[in-house]
Amino acid sequence: MPLATPLAVEFDNVTRHFGPAGAPVRAVDGVSVGITEGCFFAMLGPSGSGKTTCLRLISGFERPTSGHIRIFGQNSEAIPPNRRPVNTVFQDYALFPHLTVRDNVAYGPRMAGVDRRTRHAAAEEMLALVKLSGYGDRKPAALSGGQRQRVALARALVNRPRVLLLDEPLGALDLKLREAMQEELKSLQQSLGITFVFVTHDQGEALSMADRVAVFNDGKIVQEGTPQDIYERPRTRFVADFVGSANVLSPELSARAGGPARWTSLRGEAVALTAPGAGRITGTVRSLRYMGAVTRVTVATPGGDLTATVPAALPLPAQGATVGLHWPADALHEMEGGA
Amino acid sequence: MRSDRAPLGLRIAAFAGLAFLHLPILLIFVYAFTTEDKSYQWPPPGFTTHWLGVTWNRPDVWEALSLSLRVAAISTCIALILGTLAAAAVSRAAFWGREAVTLLVILPIALPGIITGIALRSAFNLGEIPFSTLTIVLGHATFCIVVVYNNTVARFRRISGSMLEASADLGANGFQTFAHVVLPNIATALLAGGMLAFALSFDEVIVTTFTAGQQATLPIWMLEELVRPRQRPVTNVVAMVVVIVTALPILAAYYLTRGGTDTAGSGK
Ligand SMILES: Nc1ncnc2c1ncn2[C@@H]1O[C@H](COP(=O)(O)OP(=O)(O)O)[C@@H](O)[C@H]1O
Ligand SMILES: [Mg+2]
Repeated sequence: MPLATPLAVEFDNVTRHFGPAGAPVRAVDGVSVGITEGCFFAMLGPSGSGKTTCLRLISGFERPTSGHIRIFGQNSEAIPPNRRPVNTVFQDYALFPHLTVRDNVAYGPRMAGVDRRTRHAAAEEMLALVKLSGYGDRKPAALSGGQRQRVALARALVNRPRVLLLDEPLGALDLKLREAMQEELKSLQQSLGITFVFVTHDQGEALSMADRVAVFNDGKIVQEGTPQDIYERPRTRFVADFVGSANVLSPELSARAGGPARWTSLRGEAVALTAPGAGRITGTVRSLRYMGAVTRVTVATPGGDLTATVPAALPLPAQGATVGLHWPADALHEMEGGA
Repeated sequence: MRSDRAPLGLRIAAFAGLAFLHLPILLIFVYAFTTEDKSYQWPPPGFTTHWLGVTWNRPDVWEALSLSLRVAAISTCIALILGTLAAAAVSRAAFWGREAVTLLVILPIALPGIITGIALRSAFNLGEIPFSTLTIVLGHATFCIVVVYNNTVARFRRISGSMLEASADLGANGFQTFAHVVLPNIATALLAGGMLAFALSFDEVIVTTFTAGQQATLPIWMLEELVRPRQRPVTNVVAMVVVIVTALPILAAYYLTRGGTDTAGSGK
C-alpha cells in the first residue's frame, strides 16, 4: 500500500487480549492507525482504555493477539525489545538506583559497546540538553521528581531513537512543573525531529502538545485527528464528554433549539446569553463557575443542562435568573449514533 | 526519683541477661589456657599456651576442620545458586502454586533439624546413597538455601519490573540486564546470605549427625571429645576457633544488610 508520507509506526487491525480465551480482557481491540514520521502523536483516554498496552506493543513488551505492527514499514513481530529503534520514558521513570545519573544516561551506549569516554561525553551532552549539567555524579535518589523525569528523558534520547515513547511522563509532577515540562518536551520534539508517541489521560495536555490525537475508549480508537478536530468536532458523545469542551445535546434538545434531531455537540464559547425568550432556548441559571478569564454558566433548560462560557468582560446573570441562550446555526455539530 | 529507678532496674536486668548469655563463652576461652587437663577446675590453677601447640599437631582436628570448611563452602555455593533462583522465581514471576513454593522453600528452617535429619537419612537409605561428604552437603544445603532465599527475596522485590524492561529498552540482552542491573542490586544480600549460610553450616550438629557416615565435622568431633576426652583443653581451643570462624561472617552479614537497607540497593 503506497503512502504519501512515511509512517513511523503503523497499527494494522491490532488486538491484544489478556486472560482466558473464553472471556478475555480486550485491552486493545482492533486498533488501526498510522503515526507519521516526525509527528507528536498523543494517545488520550481514561485509565484502562488500552493506551499503555498500545505503547508496549510498539516497544515490544507485548505481542499482538492478532494484527500487525509495522515500525518504519517493517513487521515488528520478530524483533525483540532491545533491537527496536524505539526508546521509552517509563511512567515511574525506572531509573537504575545503583548507578549515578551519568551512568544511567550512558547505559544505552554502554550496552551498545561504546567506550567509556565517548559515552560519558554523550551523557553529559544529553544532561545539558535537559538542563541537568553538573548532576552527573548524583544518584537518582538524590534528585527531585522533575529532575528524575529529565534523567529518564535524557537516558532515552541519548540513543537517538527514531521513535520516543512516553507513558504519562508528566503525571507525577505538580502543575507548575508539568506546564514547564510540556513546553520543553514540545520544543525538544520540534528541534530533534523525533517521532513522539505520548500517552496521557489529560485532555489539555494532549490538545496543547500534540500534532495528532487519538482518543481511546475500551481498547478502541474512537476518534483520531488534529487537536482542532477533536476539540471542535467531537465525533461521539464519549469524545465530547471526555475532552470536556462541548455541550452534548440530545436529539430532542437539539430539535427543540432548532437543530437537527440528532445527537449534537456545541462548544461553550459559541453560546451567548440573551434576554429570556430572545435566544434559541430559555432556562434558569443553575450554577456559575469562575475560571479567571471566563466564567462557566450552567443553565437548566427543559431538555437538559447547557453550559455557556462567558468572557470576563461581559455581565453575569445571578444564580436562579431566567436567561435565553443563543448560538450560530453552524456551531452545532452532529455526532454519531447514541453512544 | 521514680523515673530514674525504673531504667536502673532495667539496666541491671539487661546486664544480668547479657552476662548469663556471654559468661559461658568467656569460660570456654579461659579453659583453653588452663594448666589442668583432667577436669574443669575453677579458678584454673595456672595458665599456659601449651594447648595451642598440641591442637596444632592433632591430625584429627585438621581433618574435622577441613571437612567442615569444605562442607560449608560447597553448601553455601549450592545455596547461593538455588536460593537466588528460587527468590527470583517467587518475586518476579506469577505462577500457579507460588504461595505453596514459598512455604516449601522456607519450611526446612521451620522444621526441627531432627526431622530434616531423619527424613534425609531415610531418603538416602531408600536411594541407597552411601553416606559421605555429599550427603552432609545435601543436608546442609536444605537450610542454607533458605537463608540465601530469605536475604535475596526482599531485594528482588525492590527491583521493579519496569527497571528490567528499561534495561531491555535501552538495548541490553538478558545476560547484560542480569550483570548490570540485577546483580548489583542483590550483591550485598548475596554476600550476607552466603556468610550466614556458611556460619550455619559450619557449626551444624543435628542434621550432620543423621547424614554423615564415618566422617566427623568439627562440631561432631567436639561432641565426641566431650564424651571421651583425651586432652580436654584441646576441645576448648577448637571451640574458640569455631566461635571466631562463625561469629565473624555473622557480624559482617549483619553490618552489610544493615547498611544495605537504607541506601536502597546503592551499596556495593
Ligand atoms: N498484563 C496484563 N494482564 C491482564 N490485564 C491487563 C494487563 N495489562 C493491561 N491489562 C488490562 O488491559 C486494560 C488496558 O490497560 P492499559 O493499557 O494499562 O490502559 P491505560 O494505559 O489506558 O490505563 C485494563 O483493563 C487492564 O486491566
Ligand atoms: Mg497506562
